[in-house]
Amino acid sequence: MSHDLSNQPDNLTAAERAQIDSSTSGAALLFFGSSAFWLVFASLFDVIGAIQLTYPSFLDGISFLTYGRVVQTATTVMAYGFATPAAIGIAVWLTARLCKVPLSHHRMLVSAGIVWNLGILVGACSILAGNSTSFALLSFPAFATPILFVSYALIAIWVLFTFNERKSGGLFVSAWFVFAAVMAFPWLFGTANALLVWNPVAAPAQPAIALWFSSGFFNLWLVPVGVAAAFYIIPKSTGLPVASSNLSLLGFWTLLLFGAWTGGAQIIGGPVPAWITSAGVAASIMMLVPALAIGLNLHLTLDGHYAPVAWSPALRFIVTGIGCLVTYWILVAINSIPGVNAMTQFSDINRALYHLGHFGFFAMTAFGAIYYIVPRLTGHEWPCAKFISLHYWLAVTGFGFIVSGLILGGLIQGSALSQTIITFRSSVEFAWPFRLTAMLGSLLILASAVNFAMLLIGILLETHKNQAPALMAEREENSQEPVAV
Amino acid sequence: MNKLPNIFVGIFVIFGSAWLGLVNYPLKNLGNLQPVPDEATGGVLPPTVSGLAVAGHKVYAANGCVECHSQQVRFAPLTTDIAKELGKRQTVARDYLREKTALPGTLRVGQDLSNYGARAGEDINAIHRHLYEPRSVNPWSNMPSYCFLYNVVKIQGQPSNEAVTGLTGPCAPKPGYEVVPTEKAKALVAYLLSLNQSYPLPESPVATAK
Repeated sequence: MSHDLSNQPDNLTAAERAQIDSSTSGAALLFFGSSAFWLVFASLFDVIGAIQLTYPSFLDGISFLTYGRVVQTATTVMAYGFATPAAIGIAVWLTARLCKVPLSHHRMLVSAGIVWNLGILVGACSILAGNSTSFALLSFPAFATPILFVSYALIAIWVLFTFNERKSGGLFVSAWFVFAAVMAFPWLFGTANALLVWNPVAAPAQPAIALWFSSGFFNLWLVPVGVAAAFYIIPKSTGLPVASSNLSLLGFWTLLLFGAWTGGAQIIGGPVPAWITSAGVAASIMMLVPALAIGLNLHLTLDGHYAPVAWSPALRFIVTGIGCLVTYWILVAINSIPGVNAMTQFSDINRALYHLGHFGFFAMTAFGAIYYIVPRLTGHEWPCAKFISLHYWLAVTGFGFIVSGLILGGLIQGSALSQTIITFRSSVEFAWPFRLTAMLGSLLILASAVNFAMLLIGILLETHKNQAPALMAEREENSQEPVAV
Repeated sequence: MNKLPNIFVGIFVIFGSAWLGLVNYPLKNLGNLQPVPDEATGGVLPPTVSGLAVAGHKVYAANGCVECHSQQVRFAPLTTDIAKELGKRQTVARDYLREKTALPGTLRVGQDLSNYGARAGEDINAIHRHLYEPRSVNPWSNMPSYCFLYNVVKIQGQPSNEAVTGLTGPCAPKPGYEVVPTEKAKALVAYLLSLNQSYPLPESPVATAK
């Protein structure tokens, strides 16, 4: 095979796979374990914020638990404590597998992981203590982010090393996505911190840069890693190659091309040059192309082989995640049409889209990848399939409540905010029952996060030495790659 | 076949073009905006703000006020922001010259504050009361209480002339005690009062009645 884009994840033997996996296990488990801890932490703060929004006297008047700080802690820790380490863990494992080389410089990654978590701890405490910058996804103050940057530099250097040492042969599509994501993150995070946090530029220039960052953080960092995991694990689980390399190419390049420009659509009519918002609207609508290319390609890969979704935790979570990603991009495209946006721009729909993207897509896909990867690192299976099933249903119902509640409530709230005859008070009162629904959803998400963390503790402490794969339903056919390799 | 360098160049060009458009362009153009001279008063527009208001902006950012309050009036007629009297004209980039960090916001869980200073009036005590106990002003409000920016102190002799008066709800001080704003609370109020875009700018003149 000498294609530059391969359709087969890899053709390693079981022994080679095991060798590569055991070399990544220390670093990957450190990132996955810490991400589970911060997931519970962020979900807890998300619940506190959601309760305060509906019952404002809850924990009221306490400086470090005031609503604004609580919400910023929840979103920032979700992004840098959970999502980013999970993405790094997935990227590291995928890189070693895709480059077909065991991980070298193992200590470099482990120290990077320890430093990263210190940075999150410092950052979260300083937001709660009242040092937030208040920029979306950049709330960590100037003294916390350099810690993260140093840690990330070690990780990126390691990934480039490994790509450099890779065995010859075509690069699988997942490697492209991982490579792009690993390039995007320092570019986004470095630029945004340098210009907005460390030494802020003149304020009129800031809103455009802040939106470039927050949209890029999702479209160019979390999405490529999640999609890379889906493109690797789905063919692995069915034993069939990715349906179309043309669709892979189309999805990859259009994602990067349009994903980088979508930020302007969030500030239509706002204080940025009109061409930036126009470009943002156009890019947001054009995101339907990668949505279709990636969604269709994965669907065609699975077509006729959807049965394992019933019993394989990895497939179930990943298919749900990709479904959420396609839905997210369709809703973003609709929401960026200026006529619609005039009504919805400042409504709870923004929060619905945030949860759909960051939780519905990224967290679900990452859970699926972790369910697939961790047994291969530890050498034994998940302790209890029932708990995986419970995790799935708690998470799906949870973000279902949040997203549906906030979209419906956001439509009503947004319409109240935009009609001249309706008072502001009404927009608060109309939104209340929907915010209550979303609050219940947040509680379910917290339960699902605790459930997930307990499963991870279970498999790491080997509470049950399970050698048979934990399946969510009766298996109907043999998986191509045995679940433990 | 080794195509990684080609992929690298492709990614670099795509990211670079977006970076030039969304980071470098605002930096070079909006980043060099200057205040315009105000012919009526001989000052500049937007007017310079007091040091206390600058300190208040930090309190605003530290407490995450931006999670509920936007600070941008969008243009008419696409939006109804001006019809709803959030401001007399569209907010433009130059308006943020008064701030150290621009926080245009993405949600209106609370009211837009672009022109809070223009509609708040002169009653500073009322603003303190609102911050200390929002539901004593609007029973339906879901705004948090910022009572941690105030000190409850025993009245020594004459009551302080800075004390917040008219508190009636559960947060009201016991007899013989009074609620005195800290420096942070005073700064926050100064900042909120500085939010006022009533002045015209060349790129966003105040709309006149047709």
